[in-house]
Amino acid sequence: MNLLDIRNLSIELIHDDQNILAVDKVSLSMKEGEVRGLVGESGSGKSLLAQALVGVLDDKWHVHADRFHWRGIDLLRLSIEERKTLLSRDIAMIFQEPMACLDPTTAIGEQLTEAIDSSQLSGFFWQRKQQRQSSAIKLLHKVGIKDHTACLTSYPHQLTDALCQRVMIAMALARRPILLIADEPTAAMENTNQGQIFRLLASLNQLKNMSILLISHDLENITHWTNTITVMYSGQFVEAGTTEQIFNKPLHPYTRALVDSSPSANLHLPAKSRLMTLPGSIPILQHIPIGCRLGPRCPRAQKACVNAPSVTNFHGHKVSCHFPLTPLKKPSKRIIKEAC
Amino acid sequence: MSGLLQVKELSKSYRHKNYWFNRKKTTVLAPISFNVDAHQTLAIIGKTGSGKSTLAKLLVGAEPASSGCIYLNGQALQSASYKQRCQHIRMIFQDSGTTLNPSLTILQLLDEPLKLNTLFNEVKRKEIIRITLQKVGLLGDHMNFYPHMFSGGQKQRISLARAIILQPKVIILDEALASLDPSLRSQMINLLLDLQQQMGLAYILISHNLGIIRHFSDNIMVLSKGEVVESGITRDVMSKPQHKVTQKLLMNQSFQLKPKKA
Repeated sequence: MNLLDIRNLSIELIHDDQNILAVDKVSLSMKEGEVRGLVGESGSGKSLLAQALVGVLDDKWHVHADRFHWRGIDLLRLSIEERKTLLSRDIAMIFQEPMACLDPTTAIGEQLTEAIDSSQLSGFFWQRKQQRQSSAIKLLHKVGIKDHTACLTSYPHQLTDALCQRVMIAMALARRPILLIADEPTAAMENTNQGQIFRLLASLNQLKNMSILLISHDLENITHWTNTITVMYSGQFVEAGTTEQIFNKPLHPYTRALVDSSPSANLHLPAKSRLMTLPGSIPILQHIPIGCRLGPRCPRAQKACVNAPSVTNFHGHKVSCHFPLTPLKKPSKRIIKEAC
Repeated sequence: MSGLLQVKELSKSYRHKNYWFNRKKTTVLAPISFNVDAHQTLAIIGKTGSGKSTLAKLLVGAEPASSGCIYLNGQALQSASYKQRCQHIRMIFQDSGTTLNPSLTILQLLDEPLKLNTLFNEVKRKEIIRITLQKVGLLGDHMNFYPHMFSGGQKQRISLARAIILQPKVIILDEALASLDPSLRSQMINLLLDLQQQMGLAYILISHNLGIIRHFSDNIMVLSKGEVVESGITRDVMSKPQHKVTQKLLMNQSFQLKPKKA
């Protein structure tokens, strides 16, 4: 049974004169104990998707989905209250920009103890405070903060970005979630710290069987840690498959370009040679191309690309392209005819 | 003595002023010497607080050095004469969104260095701006736009245009590629490499991303706590790191890069 099964999720921004489709029919499924990477450049809607998952988007955004199952429970049939209690129990999220997400007027210790669920505590009510405090300290040790007294008493602005990020991770882990959504957890950190955080997440995944949805804008950063990867571009689903499939045999021109554009993935390239890259820049939300949104930048674009492609499945390797790079079967004639 | 940019025994230390009797001194950068030739790229890596950015600031003259001197084409650069220095050594910052003045158009932004450093008249300056914008892959008509009308990658190109508009010899890239998306980053690398070939620029690249450094740089310098712990040709240092700090830095990234074998 899939842990999470989302089919055709769309997120629409309600604007005065026209509605903007920020995320266009993205499907995502996760198995239990899986680490899935969600990769996309800025404006690809990956953070929006994550926020829609935990249900923290405000009224401006309209979310539709054909299917939204969480551990076999159809969330679309539940009332909002029921859905909230279910999701807040099982899913935790590490938000981007820790400085902006922590409360600047409250000490870290208070924010962290608040996040600890009282169902985890035992004993009488006068023992609770002590227990909260000790479990907060344990959480800080877990994420690699050694000086817990200084950290608990300080305010967010007194800590560095990297420390704030660790506190955010500790808060997310406080509920012992089944699924952890990590939205660029290492954006503010340097390499040595990045490695530590990824190792921590990997160990939690293996010891506690916690599933992780790892969101990143850089493919090369996360490939070592993920089992499967979903690639998005400008709000559209691009490709999904195992890490090896995505990295070694990409089917979509965009994934190919992402892999080729990273110099560290192409060690055979002579130094100072030109890197493969896509022309143009990422479209802004107000001017999204119709059909396949990669169209204007795609080297393989043809007439059929003015229609949005449907998702094809090659042995679990899903790709959304009319003309994939190494097609196992020929693109169906029907689609091309329709476009013409 | 050859070499476009020569740095000799450059160092930086701060004095704490509050102590009368036991004056404390913090050394941020120990005396450091290196050479950069035209068409060459020197990469500087190190952890935070290792003095990378201080070195960049000393080179552009944003901060006075405590000791040592910088020679450009064999000519010593005085710490006070900004005129000479800002013509030849230019810098691109990490976050292009915050380094462009939002209330000025691109024309005004790029006009400023020309006005201050050259004697060209208005028509000629406009001409130069048009050519420079085309060089970095933008249109000449973009000069009437304001910075907020551009995307992140385009803003970084404008910063690059501002850097190369005075025909400099050395450009310092302080994490200039870090905040870009991967597909735009490779565009930017291609552009920088092209410009290096055309104009004979020397780059000093400060970066975390070892993949880019491996691809981009000829020489490398590893800093730790203000001291150079290792330096040499990039390929040699990367394949056989000698010092502990280098090994640690390399190890931390190299295992992230390789995809898992099935």
